[in-house]
Amino acid sequence: MATAPKEFRFGNFVGSLVWLIFWIIVIVSLVGLPLIFILLFYIPLPYSNGEVITPYLFLSMIVDPTRTVPIIKFLIHTDFFRAAIFPGFAYAALIAAATIFVERKFLAKMQLRTGPLYAGKIEGILQLMADGLKLISKEIIAPSGADKPIFWSTPIIFVATAAALTALIPVAPGWVVSDLDVGLLAIFAILGFFPLIALLFSWSSNSKYPFIGGLRALHQMIAFEIPFILSALSIVLLSASLNLTDIVEAQDSFWFFAIAPLSAFVFYISSLAELERVPFDLPEAESEIVAGWLTETSGMIYGLIQLGTYVKLYVLAALFVILFMGGWMGPQIFPQELIPGYSGEKIYNATVVNGIFWFTIKTFGIIMLILLPRGINPRIRIDILLHTGWYKLIVLSFINMFIVLAMIYGGILTPGGLQ
Amino acid sequence: MSSSIIKKTSTATGFIKAIESGSKHLLMKRFTLRFPEQKLKFVGDGYQFDPKRGVGIAGSRGRHILFHEKCTGCQLCAITCEGIAEAIEMVKVNEKWKQNKKSIMPQIDYGKCVFCGLCVDACPFYALYMTDDFELSSFTKEHLIYTPAQLAVKPKYDGTVEVKIDERGASHG
Amino acid sequence: MTNNYNESLESKLKETTKLGLDVVKESTEDRLMTLSVGPQHPGSGHFRFTIKVDGDYIVYCDPDPGYVHRGEEKMCEYRNYIQNIPHLERPVIHDSTNITYSYSLAVEELLGIEVPRRGQFIRAIASELNRLVYTLYWLAIYGIFLGHSTMFMWPAGDRELFIDLLAALTGARVTHAFNIPGGVRNDIPEGFKNKCLEYVNYFEKRLKAYEDIFYNNPLFRQRTENVGILLKEDAINLGVTGSVLRASGVAHDVRKVEPYDVYNEIDFKVQYMKTCDSFARAYVPFLDMRESCNIIRQLLDKMPESGEVRLKLQSNPKGRIGEAYKRVESGRGALSYYIVSDGSSKPYRVKISVGSFRNILALPHLLVGSRLGDMPSIYWALNYWPVEADR
Repeated sequence: MATAPKEFRFGNFVGSLVWLIFWIIVIVSLVGLPLIFILLFYIPLPYSNGEVITPYLFLSMIVDPTRTVPIIKFLIHTDFFRAAIFPGFAYAALIAAATIFVERKFLAKMQLRTGPLYAGKIEGILQLMADGLKLISKEIIAPSGADKPIFWSTPIIFVATAAALTALIPVAPGWVVSDLDVGLLAIFAILGFFPLIALLFSWSSNSKYPFIGGLRALHQMIAFEIPFILSALSIVLLSASLNLTDIVEAQDSFWFFAIAPLSAFVFYISSLAELERVPFDLPEAESEIVAGWLTETSGMIYGLIQLGTYVKLYVLAALFVILFMGGWMGPQIFPQELIPGYSGEKIYNATVVNGIFWFTIKTFGIIMLILLPRGINPRIRIDILLHTGWYKLIVLSFINMFIVLAMIYGGILTPGGLQ
Repeated sequence: MSSSIIKKTSTATGFIKAIESGSKHLLMKRFTLRFPEQKLKFVGDGYQFDPKRGVGIAGSRGRHILFHEKCTGCQLCAITCEGIAEAIEMVKVNEKWKQNKKSIMPQIDYGKCVFCGLCVDACPFYALYMTDDFELSSFTKEHLIYTPAQLAVKPKYDGTVEVKIDERGASHG
Repeated sequence: MTNNYNESLESKLKETTKLGLDVVKESTEDRLMTLSVGPQHPGSGHFRFTIKVDGDYIVYCDPDPGYVHRGEEKMCEYRNYIQNIPHLERPVIHDSTNITYSYSLAVEELLGIEVPRRGQFIRAIASELNRLVYTLYWLAIYGIFLGHSTMFMWPAGDRELFIDLLAALTGARVTHAFNIPGGVRNDIPEGFKNKCLEYVNYFEKRLKAYEDIFYNNPLFRQRTENVGILLKEDAINLGVTGSVLRASGVAHDVRKVEPYDVYNEIDFKVQYMKTCDSFARAYVPFLDMRESCNIIRQLLDKMPESGEVRLKLQSNPKGRIGEAYKRVESGRGALSYYIVSDGSSKPYRVKISVGSFRNILALPHLLVGSRLGDMPSIYWALNYWPVEADR
């Protein structure tokens, strides 16, 4: 510490606050309001009871709060809300942030220490915010011989691809951003981009250790895509459809985990390898290759890549829940009406809220299961990894596929559920 | 002379035992010492030396304490430190003591001191001991040089936390 | 049984080096990539070694010590025998009683004095506690080199118990400056014996948890078994020492072969293993830690109730004209001092011979022909402490 901080003067503090408010008012009125009016010129406004709902009507909620309900209902069902907030990117990012914090505390408890403790009043709950602020304020150093366009754009592509995956996950009946008939195949297609992105970033870093790390990432992810797809194939046989919503609805009597436990195990191990988590974190092996293909990331680039990784974690955990554990199916525990006797327009839908609740709980359970090996296992070596991936996992998934085929041929199950 | 032969366990048992061991630790107490809210308790009153018997008395080696009524200005501590860290320098003080004809006393530079305690071993008049105080950081290098008047002050250290071992593990506090 | 074992080991060794040699013959310079696993690398400590890699196989290795060389041996010639202690213990800060133990023994031979009995027992207790502290730190770093963060945190936490014991005994957590020619600097404080027994008993129970999660973990076994095989003849010819030698089937421990101070009264066994691979080199220090717990309990039992711990010497002791050589078993292996004195109060020449520097000779021999992924497990299993090797 070279200098002591300046003395605090209350007058200066109030002056800086007033200055801030002044600039906010100027920018909102000179730039924000015209933008809003230009947007409103182009968006069609919703109808309710034969009346067009304008923003002025919305502001009259001070008088009668029930007038806001139609507007909120309209906004919730727009495409933008679904893609950006729920069940799209903001929901995934929130779960990713919670996962990072829970992982640090969980591992700390297993290692007999406290994790983050001082940021935030209760046990360090604001640590993520502090880390985000720190990463934003750091300088991003690009190596001098690096390929600048690829170096700067690859982390953004990484996050964008991970966010694109969240558009295919159904969280509740009817709540999915894009309901494709080949949803499962689309997920695997997008997952196939990640080895390319890792290789591009490591090549453009123009340094030896990222080069080795990128090659290892390529080998690892490509080797484990095959057991991944094969284990999901048993589920496709059981549900006769590639549409993720249909797969969930085919599990209304029992979970597919009961018939295909080997496939679930293979899927779990392959998703650990796709996510580069311990014990499969050789592309970022710290003691051998100095952080692998992430060596040259610093500042916000590192933050973006971590965000993308944890969003991918959420997606793969959600996929496990959808394929093997019944998605959003669960006993109905929410009441049909929040306010009994209310007859106006309602946002609350009992089945949807129930579905969201069960889905979130199951996803969190699987995320904890994915976090567990980090506290228990050391890193694996690349030849053992390839041996395991190519021999053992493929054999296991084939065994389970034959069991499922035998049960369908024997007439116990039909494609689409129990007979 | 025995050579050990390790039993080879099967892969599945190995993993299950590891998961079991890891999960058992989730129920154990955390071991962290939350410094500076919790501070460890030190045994004894600081490292001291008895020149008649020629042996030291156990204690922790922190900042020195100089007893002005016993120091004679013999410079033995400075001579000892010359070969180790050159941290002690004799300076003239304004006090008049009967046993200190030249009125010089040691001044210690904590930027250089390695806290070995051999100066305490060298003093034959029971004048230089060490205390528990180890929080000596400052903003400038000049503030680290402690004059004889500063060295005469006895520090206050109130650490009370100890390690407790029970059936749920070891913890501080 | 020994013959079959050796043969299968020989064939495995031939297989791996054959791969290495074939690779070197076929490749041209373009295929090789030079990596500098340098001092600024999270996998090497303050030590640099250059390796050339062909794909995943290492074909050439050149260790390059000297990054933290300080001139310890030269500095000894300008300070007298007592003033040498603080700077001599800095090469290994948490194993400092062992590195000054050997020095004190050699100086005592030159001065012609003998340490009182209670002082010898306290020296041995501090030496065993330091051995535990060093081995736990080594084990923690071994865990993190292989990516096992739990195995980093558990030994580092348990080590704090012993560091607290040493802080109560000597006054400082590391760099204790406890051994001095003539004995030890102070007697044990009150309540030390009970606290020591409590911590040692607790620690022995923790060793079972280490075994469960690390040594019996199938992934760790897969990574270290049959990796880096160092046969018994090669080990003796290369001159390795300490746990590396004991993992190759040679039952050599300086405390048993040339007992110093009170070690001839203590009953303990030399732990060694015959499998010669990296797993054995990782397991022998673990067995050593168990033996150390036994030794500490016996020492606390047999220590005389009262007595002198330090001989009173004159302030600038002068040695007789001559030389002295003494050897001690430290955490890394045999550590010896050779001091030549010309009758003055400063030594004429001090030569320190450390176990780490002897062990690093095995690194090129083991790394060539193995995979890049085996590098951390082979390198750190050689028990190399860079600061001590550079002195």
